[in-house]
Amino acid sequence: MISISLTVNKQVYQVEVEEDLRLIDFIRDKLMLTGTKEGCGEGECGACTIIMDGKTVNSCLVMAFQAHGSRITTIEGVAKDGALHPIQQAFLDVGAVQCGFCTPGMVLSAKALLDENEVPNRHQIREGISGNLCRCTGYNKIVDAIELASSYIKEGQQDETSSSGRQ
Amino acid sequence: MKKRGRGIAAAYYGTGYGNGFPDVSRARAEISKDGNIFIYIGATEVGQGAKTIFCQITAEILGVETQDIHFVCEDTSQTPDAGTAAASRQTYNSGNAVKKAAESLSQRLMEQAQNHLQLNSVHGLKLENHWVYLEDFPKKRVHFKELVKEDTLIVEETFTAQTVKMDEETGEGAPYWPYTFCCYGVEVEVDTETGEIHVIHGVCAQDVGKAINPELIEGQIEGGFAMGLGYGLMENIGLSKGEIKHNRFANYLIPTALDVPELEKIIVEDPSSTGPFGAKGIGEPVMIPAAPAILNAIYDAIGIRFYEIPVTPERVLVAIKDAQKEGKE
Amino acid sequence: MKPLQVVGNRVLRVDGKAKVQGAALYPQDINMEGMLYGATLRSDKPHAFITIDLEEAEKIPGVVKILTAKDVTGHNHHGVLFKDHDVLCAEKVRRIGDPMAFVIGTSERIAKEALKKIKVHYQEIPAVFDPLEAMEERAPKIHGESNIIYHYKCRKGNVDEAFKACDIIVERAYQTSMVDHAFLQPEAGIAYMDEDGSVVVLAATQYPHFDQLEVAEALGLPTEKVRIINPAVGGAFGGREDITMQIHLALAAYLTGKPVKVVYGREESFYAHSKRHPIMMKYKTGATKEGKLLAMEVMLVGDTGAYASWAINVMRKAGVHAPGPYEIPNVKVDSYAVYTNNPFCGAMRGFGATQTPIGSEQQMDILARELGIDPIQFRLMNCFRVGSETANGQILHESIPLVQCIEAVKDRMFQELR
Repeated sequence: MISISLTVNKQVYQVEVEEDLRLIDFIRDKLMLTGTKEGCGEGECGACTIIMDGKTVNSCLVMAFQAHGSRITTIEGVAKDGALHPIQQAFLDVGAVQCGFCTPGMVLSAKALLDENEVPNRHQIREGISGNLCRCTGYNKIVDAIELASSYIKEGQQDETSSSGRQ
Repeated sequence: MKKRGRGIAAAYYGTGYGNGFPDVSRARAEISKDGNIFIYIGATEVGQGAKTIFCQITAEILGVETQDIHFVCEDTSQTPDAGTAAASRQTYNSGNAVKKAAESLSQRLMEQAQNHLQLNSVHGLKLENHWVYLEDFPKKRVHFKELVKEDTLIVEETFTAQTVKMDEETGEGAPYWPYTFCCYGVEVEVDTETGEIHVIHGVCAQDVGKAINPELIEGQIEGGFAMGLGYGLMENIGLSKGEIKHNRFANYLIPTALDVPELEKIIVEDPSSTGPFGAKGIGEPVMIPAAPAILNAIYDAIGIRFYEIPVTPERVLVAIKDAQKEGKE
Repeated sequence: MKPLQVVGNRVLRVDGKAKVQGAALYPQDINMEGMLYGATLRSDKPHAFITIDLEEAEKIPGVVKILTAKDVTGHNHHGVLFKDHDVLCAEKVRRIGDPMAFVIGTSERIAKEALKKIKVHYQEIPAVFDPLEAMEERAPKIHGESNIIYHYKCRKGNVDEAFKACDIIVERAYQTSMVDHAFLQPEAGIAYMDEDGSVVVLAATQYPHFDQLEVAEALGLPTEKVRIINPAVGGAFGGREDITMQIHLALAAYLTGKPVKVVYGREESFYAHSKRHPIMMKYKTGATKEGKLLAMEVMLVGDTGAYASWAINVMRKAGVHAPGPYEIPNVKVDSYAVYTNNPFCGAMRGFGATQTPIGSEQQMDILARELGIDPIQFRLMNCFRVGSETANGQILHESIPLVQCIEAVKDRMFQELR
């Protein structure tokens, strides 16, 4: 057993984990955050994508102990105060969700992309989600959703600036 | 060298189990004593959007909003049998069953309202926003809740599709109904150095009868196109003496976001009199023309016909080499 | 008629909000107090008689029970059309991946460890992997007397006479591949006993009520003692039509009295569910020099692998759709479904009607080019319209907007033809 501490969705955990425990199993089985999905177990499908210290990683390829000291966001940590994140809202608004199994990973890849590049073009979006497989949507509505999310986020920032300006 | 070409393919698809086999969907509609509306049907939501369109159909008939419907499809102990979520049959078959159940419920509500409001008939009664009222004298009105406070209203309806078994020697019969039609056009770019084929544009015209939810239909077209692209260009389980050599996503390649083109989607409406609001099923037809259209476009680009799929870069290179050899001889 | 209020609108998907938040529960996301874990032993030989020795495996601490064919309490069979699958293979395996034993252990690790300790003695017998070879008299038989399990025939007009009247005839052979649904959610499930003694199976399926019948029959229980719960389904495309783990789980819960869970990895998923039938096609199509289709002769051979699944319905649908959406007065179609020792094939999006256009739509292009007619024009000249009669003699009396579909693509992509 190895003792590690890490932050998941802004909550700090200090735990003992088995050496051969994968991060995805820690997240799903120990923290019961089952929004992170396993589709292949070898880093090909991206369903298990999480954000670790600002970068997306396939949580099936990382051992739990390697996450020591890291800050992790899973799909459960994306919505704020019960309100959907603009990316989640955009996925819903344009119909970018079908079976939904790839959706958590897609949303997190989109978030990592938009955190780095506020207004990506469609090709950049495609590259940003190229590690996430989807069998239902054919991807185009997901690309639409991420474009829309980018504009939602910008509008949100403008709203904040204008409201603080009024105060 | 990169060479471009365009191709099309047209297709049709007959809905349902077919060939005279009883293709049955059952649905139950209820209004509970507290006025909540329920639909129970054993029709699976596999991601295609069945739950959403069944809620839309019910909402349309009962004059309420989609989110007012409590939809239950997950449990055999609660739901009547509605057949399989396959054969593009749920919108058509189960959609009809849901519509009939909702219409029955609406009829029962109106009959109860007739009694409650002491009217001579149900004619002229309308359902809107959980009220039943007389259209030409809207003050005569009663809320759903008032009508069901004694007893939950429950109705169950069945829809059975009509097909005729074919003659075993001649194939004569009416094996499927309704048929759905489509035509896709694509443009490809073939890299004659690497053998890679890139689909760069697509136009998809899909007959739907009547679109119950255009967003969901577009989603089906996009997903079907991508699956067809994979079928034509990439996918093969790599059989070797019964063994699946490509049994992981590392070697069984399916399209990624970088492989699919932007698509122009054209929804063609021509209602079918037997479909719910004229709707037909489209879950499968949306896939069909993609691969053959790509094959025709490849020929247009490089003048080589491929008789076997998938047309992988390796196969393209071999074919180009063979064509050059033949040209020299 | 009053205008529609809700139907026709872009209503947001009702299951979307849970899905974008990762809150939708797929079978692998569901756990129960005190549950056991299952693992499936699968054949690595394509055709063999088997004997299974569990002794070593059963000694492993934490192994609760290992199920084999003799533990099946009802009928050891299932199948959507023919009951040709064993729940757990009794004497013979017919493909690589056939389930032979189901280990129930206190953890997934223990169950998988026990798999390695089970000794299987295979007595291999000749196998056949090519459907044309499988059709021959002398081929090894997979089930029963013949590997040919279906022959669809369509006979309209007189093709032999009609070909004589054709100005042009195109004859080609085509081959499609065996492919996988590759839905993103690998199979998973959990089963438990209810307070009233019912077996409850929670798994992703396309048809819960049919699973209920199959589980009941295999366990020897009345249908009402079996309940199927179908939580969020991570894609299906036909690949969740046949039983995979449902009966193994039900049996495990029934015999141990405890909740039992199993989750397939991707590789096991590839072996567990059906595939798309690869079809060998021979097409002969003839037309007049003016571009009118006169005759078509088609032969289709679909490889259904070791089990029938939906083969008959698939090869029927392939046969009916083989001519394509065109008026052809003389048509002859023969469509066969054949057993081999390959992975079994069943339903996949399009169900036979996806395979045939690989042939029929290329035939249309080849004919058009040889006739010097634009391929779009050629299709418009021959395609189904209201009132057309199909090769089966069915009259297409309404909602046949194929011309509109073709014209729409022509307008958007082939403007120079306008």
